[in-house]
This record gives sequence, structure tokens and C-alpha cells, in this order.
Amino acid sequence: MSRSSRSMEWTPLLFSGGLAFFLFALFAVIPFGDTAMKVGTMIHQQGGELGAANLVTAVVLGYRGLDTLGELAILFAAATSAGLVLSNTRQRTRSIKNKGLGELFESAISLLMPLLLLVGVYIVLHGHLTPGGGFQGGVVIAVALFLPTLARGEMVINHHLIQWIEGGAGALFILIGVAALIQGAAFLQPLMAAGEVGRFLSAGTLPVLYLLVGLKVGAELAALLGHLVEDDEPGVQQ
Amino acid sequence: MLAAILYVGAVSLLVIGLAGMLLSSHLFRMLLGLVIAEAGANLLLVLAGYRWESAAPIWESGAYPQLMVDPVPQAMVLTAIVIGVGIQALAIALLVRIRQQTGSLQRDIVREQLEQDLDLELGVKLPSSMHAPSGEGPLLSGTRGAGNEQ
Amino acid sequence: MSNSLALVIALPLLAAFLLQPLAQQLGVGREQRSVAIQLYAQLTIAVTLWITLMLGNGVEQQPLSVMMGGFSAPMGINLYLDRLSLLLLVATQLALLLLWPADATPRIHALMLLLSASSMGLALSGDLFNLYVFYELLAVATFGLVAANSSRSAPLISFRYLLISGLGSVLALSGIALIYSHTGSLNLADISATLQHGDAELPLAAFILILLGIGVKAELFAVNGWVPEVYAIISPRLSALLAGVVSKLAVVVIVRVLLMLFPHPEAAQVLLVLGILGVISGELAAWRAQDLRRMLAYSSIGQLGMIFIAFSLSLEFGMLMGLLLSLHHMVVKPGLFMLTAGKSKRWHMALFVLFALSLVGVPPLPGFWVKLSLLTGLVEAGGALNQLALIVFLGATVIEASYLFRVLQNTLPNPPAVDEGHLTVGWNGLVGVLLGGVLVVTTLSVDPVLEQLKQISSQAGDRNLLISSVVTPSAEQQMVVERDK
Repeated sequence: MSRSSRSMEWTPLLFSGGLAFFLFALFAVIPFGDTAMKVGTMIHQQGGELGAANLVTAVVLGYRGLDTLGELAILFAAATSAGLVLSNTRQRTRSIKNKGLGELFESAISLLMPLLLLVGVYIVLHGHLTPGGGFQGGVVIAVALFLPTLARGEMVINHHLIQWIEGGAGALFILIGVAALIQGAAFLQPLMAAGEVGRFLSAGTLPVLYLLVGLKVGAELAALLGHLVEDDEPGVQQ
Repeated sequence: MLAAILYVGAVSLLVIGLAGMLLSSHLFRMLLGLVIAEAGANLLLVLAGYRWESAAPIWESGAYPQLMVDPVPQAMVLTAIVIGVGIQALAIALLVRIRQQTGSLQRDIVREQLEQDLDLELGVKLPSSMHAPSGEGPLLSGTRGAGNEQ
Repeated sequence: MSNSLALVIALPLLAAFLLQPLAQQLGVGREQRSVAIQLYAQLTIAVTLWITLMLGNGVEQQPLSVMMGGFSAPMGINLYLDRLSLLLLVATQLALLLLWPADATPRIHALMLLLSASSMGLALSGDLFNLYVFYELLAVATFGLVAANSSRSAPLISFRYLLISGLGSVLALSGIALIYSHTGSLNLADISATLQHGDAELPLAAFILILLGIGVKAELFAVNGWVPEVYAIISPRLSALLAGVVSKLAVVVIVRVLLMLFPHPEAAQVLLVLGILGVISGELAAWRAQDLRRMLAYSSIGQLGMIFIAFSLSLEFGMLMGLLLSLHHMVVKPGLFMLTAGKSKRWHMALFVLFALSLVGVPPLPGFWVKLSLLTGLVEAGGALNQLALIVFLGATVIEASYLFRVLQNTLPNPPAVDEGHLTVGWNGLVGVLLGGVLVVTTLSVDPVLEQLKQISSQAGDRNLLISSVVTPSAEQQMVVERDK
């Protein structure tokens, strides 16, 4: 680094110091553990009108369903952009020739992968009952799908299939919302009876929505990892 | 006491991350700074919903707990984390591409390259622009070339 | 019926999700496929325009608040359609239809659809965190569109944009955390009702944090480092879209937040100071710029600074002034950017002169009336800061005139040769002509347009109207009970 750029560093330092002071002063004022919990209390008082044992799920998919839709769109935008950025390098050889991790890891991972998939699906399907849900489970699923690639050092990710899953799951999420609209209710209004809280089959359409979220997140992350692996060529020098 | 530790921790993460972003001379470390700062902001959000002596907002033995933490910030943090993951993945993809092109992720080297490339593409004469009076500048006809869809 | 307002956001998202799988199924050649996808995307936007116009009918009397998921106001997310958001929405949709990139890959079309959905979400959403989500969606889609550019430096420029934007979002998120721990709510109208009573320090701090966050897209001073680089490499259509429409959406979000959460003079002063700094830095950099694109980008920073100055004036008047300046910039800047596309011809010069004259503020063009009323407003407002703003504003106008006419001075002595393509008017040129036409029509009918805008801004500035049309009376009573507890 040149000398001139080193001498300039007091500005960011000053900025960071000022910000630290500002933020500390601010958050010292907030009553910790006793904050205004207006909306939270209202949701509590509604007593699980959506039938979800996990109230966080009720918020994520019910009360703030539009946020979740936007978030899925952000993941989609990131995966699409990453594909766009890295696809320009496609003309170079696509074969990925790293050695893999060896026999031991390969067999271990083939044993582990179905288990991981099972755990992922379990977490997704119980999102309305326990802590967990589509995002957490989706990440586990994505990792399960990605492990063989890591172990064998070759691509096993089918991008066409992934495009269908990510597109289809997102579209179904919206269509379930539109179905409520067609029935005369509001967009993204939870459908079907809430059922008995705590049962596996409860909370109306929320588990279905979470399943779609799980699929989409899984596909999206697998696509992102896949793009990065395809591009990671050992030939490129620093 | 606990409150102080938690808030100090969260705000410190935020400031450490931002300082890292501003002070690092390597693009990947700048990205790591962003990741750390995001963690700090997410922690602040979680703390905004914490209540003393409360349980998780989950149905247990026939009812929701009388005293429970606020579920809304937890949902928001879930959203914010996923947004952050998407942005970080995209950033890494961009970094991979930058390194392929310039062979480096050092901030100074990369920035120099950027300025040269931009001036070249926009038709600004490089060496003379330092000495030429700025009044000679923009020409309407000298701007084609950049942009891929016209 | 009014529930279908959500489709304005949902349809472009749906179209984006389905675009790539559907594109794979098309068995036709590359060129036809590209045309088909463009039609599909533009048709989606056209449908949203139709829905908006249908629902926008009754908005003059009573703004429309549509609840997502059928929950009551502070619990669920609401979309808010008043005359201001209607105007912005229609402008955004028209701009998208006119400026849609031609001959692009499916991925770029998908990103454009996501950009459309998020800009409409920004115009409509009445919920703080939801605004943040749409803002991030807008950001990520833009990173992709910038990085997709064929320019060599595109990935690096996109990465720097990402870092600046990420810094902003972290600050905005902390601001939201502050507001939430203070009020326990995320609904703008509800927060506004809560903050009417009580101290002002925390909300002011939260406002500054959110301002710095959302200010990234609004080209606010201190977080606008991405502007010149990005506008230098992206296509003129995308520059026109980002500088013309998207930046205004971000400005309006800031003004909404300012107005709803914190209508106190200190917040307006923060806006004023940052606006002044933006004008100074932007105009000086534009004056020094060596090429047309970066000159226009820097001057856009300066003009957005002026818009911030305008919005910082007293509520009703400032709202009107900010709106006038924004709309003027929304027509002129895209026009100028569109003229940088392709080979310049003689009539390009004529249009350039028209836009430049209006931007500088030469009578009788609309720019003159806008600047004149802002000047009188600043004089009447008094106060040291406002007087500083006045001086900066006048100086900026001189600098603007200087650099815009330098372009002409350099080009006029040797006008572009008349080549064989003289008679063909490309789409970009057509959009330029259209915007020029809008400018001329506005010049001829200043009074009725001003009357309409006055009504729009007075409706947008009415906090009580917002609160009463979003928060239902029963929920408000419940709120009072909560507060008393």
C-alpha cells in the first residue's frame, strides 16, 4: 500500500469512532428486555388464529407474508445475477478436475446425504410446530444436494431441474396467494381451516407455503453454489 | 449488566464490520466486514424483541406462554439473514469474476485498473487529461461505445 | 376488488419466476425468442398499468389502504395508494414500458421484472420493514443488471455499488431496530400515530440511519459514490430508468418516512444540509467531468441535492416544490441520457438544447417556473441555512449552465455529418422526442398542471388522512389501551 493512502485512513477511523459513539449513546437509552411490544402483544392476544404452534412461523408466512415473498424474490435475483456474472466464462473448459476428497469421504457422504435430506425435509415440514422451517430446512437440503459435488469433484447439479424447482415453487407461492384473492379474500390470506394447534396437519396453508419456501431456498442455494463451483477453475492464477 | 454486554456486543460487531469495510485494502476483507456488520445489525434487531423472563413464542402444553419474547423481530431477522446470504453469494460471484479479470483483489490495484478502463471506454484521453484544462471536456459525439443494448 | 392492488407487485414477480423455465420451452430461434420474452414482460407491465388505472379512480377523495393477508392494520402489511403513489406508480410503469431493454437474455428480462416489482412495491408499501425488503430487492436486481454489462469493469463497479449499498442497508436495518424497540410497530401510519406524543431523540437518530440507508439509491450526499461509475457503463435506457425514476422513488420513500415518522424541524435540517452538500459536490464534479455520461451522472447528484433542499422546506410548500423538481428531473434527465445513445444527429442537438435550457431554468420552459418558485420559497423561509441554500442554488445554476453549454460549444462548430441513417429514428430517439413533447406540452399548460400537483402534494402531506385511512378505529382504540397499560 502506498504511503499516501495510508495517511488518508484517519477519515474512516473517525467515521467509525463517531458512529460507535452515536450508536452506543442511542442503544443505552433503549429499555432492554422491556421494549414496546405492541404488534407482538396483539399477535399474542389473537391466540394463534392461524393455528401455527410456532408464532414466528405465523408472522413469517401469515402476518408478514409479503416480506417473505420479497425475500424469495431477492434470493432469486441474487442467484440469477450470479448466474449472469459467471456465465460469461462458459466458453472456457467446463470440466472440473479437482481431485475430490478421496474414497473415505465419498462413501461417508453417500451415506450422509439421504440422512441430511431427511433432516432437511423434516425441519421444513415441522416449521409450523417447532423452531425451524423453510429457510433453515432449505439450507440443509441445499447442502445435502451439494455434498456429492464436493466429494467427487464433479458436477452433479442439474441446472434445468433447479430452474424448474426455483421458478415453480415461487410461482406456486404467489398462486396460493392469488387463489385467496379469487375467493374474494386478501392476497396471501391463509386458506383452509386452522385446525387444532400443535397437530401436524394444522395451520391451513402455512405448511404448504413453508414447503414451497424450503424447495425454493434449497434450489436457489444449490444453484448459487453450483455456479461458484463451475467457475472455480484451478488454472486461474493469482 | 447482561443488557449492557449484549448491546455493546451487537453495536461493536456493527462498528467493527463497518470499520473493516472502510479500512481494508483487500476486496474480500471488505466483504467480510459487511458480513460482520450485518451480523451486528441482526443482533440489534433480535434484541429489540427480547423480554425479561420470557419463553420462546411456541405453543406448549395447551397454550402459548404467558410471557413470551416478541415474535415479530425474530421473523424480521430471519428475513434479513436470508437477504444477507443472497447478497453475499452475489458478491462472491462478482469477486471471482474480478479476480479472473484483473488477477488481483487488492483495492489499490483494482481501482487503478478501473479508472483506466473507464477513461478508455468513455473516450477520455488518459495521459493528457491530467494536464489539459478541464474546459475541453465533454463531446456529445464522443460517447458511443459503452453500454450493450441500444 | 381493491385487494387486487397486490397484483401490481405479484404479477411481475410471478412472471419473473416463470420466465426462465418457460424460455427453455420455446423451440424457436434466438432472435424470435428474445422478442417473445420481451413481449411477455412488457405485457405483464401493461397489465399492472391497467390494474393501477382501474383502482386509481376513487383515490382523489379517499386514499386506498389494502391489507395483505386480510389482517388488521398494525399487524399485517398494508399497501397505500394515494394520489402521489398513483402518480409515481403510473410514471414508473410508463417508464418501464418505454425503456425496457431490447435484445437481452432471459436472465436480464427476469431481473428487469424483479426491478419492476420492487419499484412498484416501494411506491405502494406502507410498512417500514416491507419497504426495506423491496429496497433490497431493487438493489440486488440493479447489481445484476450493472454486472451483466459488457464493459470490462462491470463486475468491479457492481461490487463497489454492492458494498456501498450494503453499508447503507446495515445502517437502515439498525434504524428499523431502533424504531421497532421504541414503538413496537412497523406500520408507517401506526408509528406516526404513536410518535405524535413523546420525545424526539430516538426517532431522529433512527431517521438519520434510515436516511443514510435509503439515500444510497436517492444519490444522497456521502453515500452516492457509485453514481458516476454505474451511469458511465450501463446502457442509456437503464441510466434513464435509474436516474429518472428509481432515484425519485427512493426520494419519495425518504420523504414519506420523514413526514410520517418525524415531522420535526431537526430532521428537515439534516435533509437540508445533506442536500446543500450534494448540490455543491455534484455540480462541481459535473463541471470537471471529461465525458458526457459522467457529467450527466454528477449533475444528477446535484439535482437530487436540490430536490432534498426543496423537500426540507415547510411541510406543504416543501412537498409541492420537491414534487415539482422531481417530476421535472424525471422528464429532463432521462431525455438527456437517451440522447447519449447511438450516433448523434442534428435533431439530437436541438432536443439536447431544449432539455438543457429547461434544466438550467430558462423561461418559458417548466424548469424556469420550478426554480423561480423554489427561490421565492427559500427567500421567504429565511434562516441562515436557507440563505446558504439560496446562494448554493444560484451558484449551481450558473455552473449547470456553464457545463451544459460547453457541450454545445464543443459540438456545434463541427456538427455531426449527415449520414445515410438520417431518416431512421431509433427507439431511443423516439423516447427522447416523446419526453421533449411532454416538456413542451407542460410549458403550454403550466397552470392546470400546477393545480393538479398542488392537490396531490396537499393530500400526500396530510398525516391525519394517512393515519385515519390505514389504522381502523377499532385498532386505534386497542392501541390506546396498549399504551395505557
